[in-house]
Amino acid sequence: MDGGTTHDVAEAHTLTEREGARPERQSCGGRAPILTTHALTKHFGGLRAVDGLDIEVCKGDIFGFLGPNGAGKTTVIRMVLGLIHPTSGHAEVCGHRVPGELQGALRHVGGFVDDPTFYPLMSARRNLRLLGSMTGPVSEERLDEVLDIVALRDRADDRVGGFSHGMKQRLGIAQALLHSPELIVLDEPTSGLDPRGMKDVRELIRELGAAGTTVFLSSHLLHEVEQVCTRAVILNRGKVVVQGPVSELRPQSDAVKVLTADQGKAGETLRTQFGAGSVLEDEGFLIVQAGEDAVPEMVRRLVADGVAVRAIVPAPEQGLEDFFLELTGTDDANRPAPAKRRAGLARLLPEGRR
Amino acid sequence: MNEVATGPATAHGSTGARMRGRAWGPLRREWIKLLYQRRSYVIWGGAFVVPFLIALALYLAKGDPHGGEGPLFLQRVTSNGMYVALAALSALLPFLLPLAAAMVAGYMIAGEAELGTLRIVLLRPVRRGSFILAKWAMAMVYLAVGFALMLAGGLLFGAIFFGLHPMVTLSGSTVGIWHGLGLIILCCLYGLAAMSCIVSLALLFSTVTDSSLTALIATIVIYIVVQVLIVFSYFDWLRPWVFPSYFLGYTNFFRDPIYWTPILKGLASFGVWSFGFTFIAYLLFRRKDVLS
Repeated sequence: MDGGTTHDVAEAHTLTEREGARPERQSCGGRAPILTTHALTKHFGGLRAVDGLDIEVCKGDIFGFLGPNGAGKTTVIRMVLGLIHPTSGHAEVCGHRVPGELQGALRHVGGFVDDPTFYPLMSARRNLRLLGSMTGPVSEERLDEVLDIVALRDRADDRVGGFSHGMKQRLGIAQALLHSPELIVLDEPTSGLDPRGMKDVRELIRELGAAGTTVFLSSHLLHEVEQVCTRAVILNRGKVVVQGPVSELRPQSDAVKVLTADQGKAGETLRTQFGAGSVLEDEGFLIVQAGEDAVPEMVRRLVADGVAVRAIVPAPEQGLEDFFLELTGTDDANRPAPAKRRAGLARLLPEGRR
Repeated sequence: MNEVATGPATAHGSTGARMRGRAWGPLRREWIKLLYQRRSYVIWGGAFVVPFLIALALYLAKGDPHGGEGPLFLQRVTSNGMYVALAALSALLPFLLPLAAAMVAGYMIAGEAELGTLRIVLLRPVRRGSFILAKWAMAMVYLAVGFALMLAGGLLFGAIFFGLHPMVTLSGSTVGIWHGLGLIILCCLYGLAAMSCIVSLALLFSTVTDSSLTALIATIVIYIVVQVLIVFSYFDWLRPWVFPSYFLGYTNFFRDPIYWTPILKGLASFGVWSFGFTFIAYLLFRRKDVLS
């Protein structure tokens, strides 16, 4: 083990140097960091599942941990919570170094990794009691309380084996809450839930955040993170792509949707005006990367070319999902990014990335 | 079986309660997990029923002059119920009990990995060392209950079919019922010690695979291979070094006086192998990446 580790550490260093600086560590301002990782790295054979990860979660954050499936989110959570050992680097959780002082850290953490799982022949209440007793004594009142929070009180004495996926997700949240931990780590807690259940879970996470609990929410859904999180990191292929307040994650998208009688001809006109890269077609509309102040000139030219304009509307949402897909896209990663987006990325990404 | 005391439990309990919880908590939790598995009861049921089948078969064959052939003690069974428990031990020790040991211990880590509970349980602040030691201890307790059921079944059905009488030792002397019972219990404890090797080996496999069936099969295969090897005289040199050679050592309790040398040799072998396997299992588990 030892020989391997030093080698890996050395390798990680040279890599970092070659690729330029890591994303700068964001400061928590006046707040204390509650979870930080320091060049956290995990290799599985030749695969770099997590590669020199530096993230910082501050006390009171609802922290979004965003990335497509297979980005390494779960591997990071497993390392931070001590289920697997990092190849190099370490994490600090609630003031305790992991690995090393794992028990101290876990005393202040609740959560689950992947799907929450339980002993199928035991009732929900007995499962909670069994898991809870591993951290410390739990009163029956507290069991009732957390079961109430996730609306499972009336099924508390039924075997978990008969529970639906959504109910198990909720029970997973219940067991995370048992000891009112400082930090709650939830790994895709809304996956497999119906819209109603998703809404409830997001509501609950917001409430937890409002009550001062730090929540680490892993998700592959951009809009979920936008809805509930205050800060977020986007992870892809085991590396941080973007880290910062959620409001800064989304690109400043100045785009308008254009609908005309002759979209083909309108497209030609607009491409000569704004450049080919700025005009895309999307579900019958033309999406033009241009500010609203360009609209009068746009209309004038279209009319001059004999194209009847039917509608021009702002499209602030446009590009959000694309932006995420582009940041995290794996199969078309080599495709050049559209000029506008690239400008947006350059603002967010540290020097030397992409 | 209410594992959390109802009433005003403070946030972290008193120091005394916490110390007590630290010692008993992991054991109690493993015990509860065992009780909430259906397969647990299959082996226990088998351990209780086999003495009944032995007693019944011997009772029905009583008039047959060829009845009474078979394992070591069976010739004497027909006249005395005390020997039914002993016959059950000699019938179960080579196969059903190792199977039970491999099953329960092989499931301990790999089974939880299969179920997915390992990743939620290990997010709690428990040391992996005490976690795996509690599992080892509870596998042994589980087997102890199995031995107790076998003993109880043997005595019960032996008494019903043949009545309990003073026993004749291998040295020809006669011992009273209570003395005989004490010797049978010693035999069972020796058997339990033998099973600790299987438990430890299965626990070792259980930490390296995420399939409890694989752990079970690997353990049984190794056990059977060793059993087969030591039958051949070519492998005589192997015999003192492997633990299955000592499985029949319990018969020495039925010499008068008890012939301790082979018994102690056997116990030493069991202790060394069991400790070795468990220690390796502990080392592996401490560094194990839980990916299930």
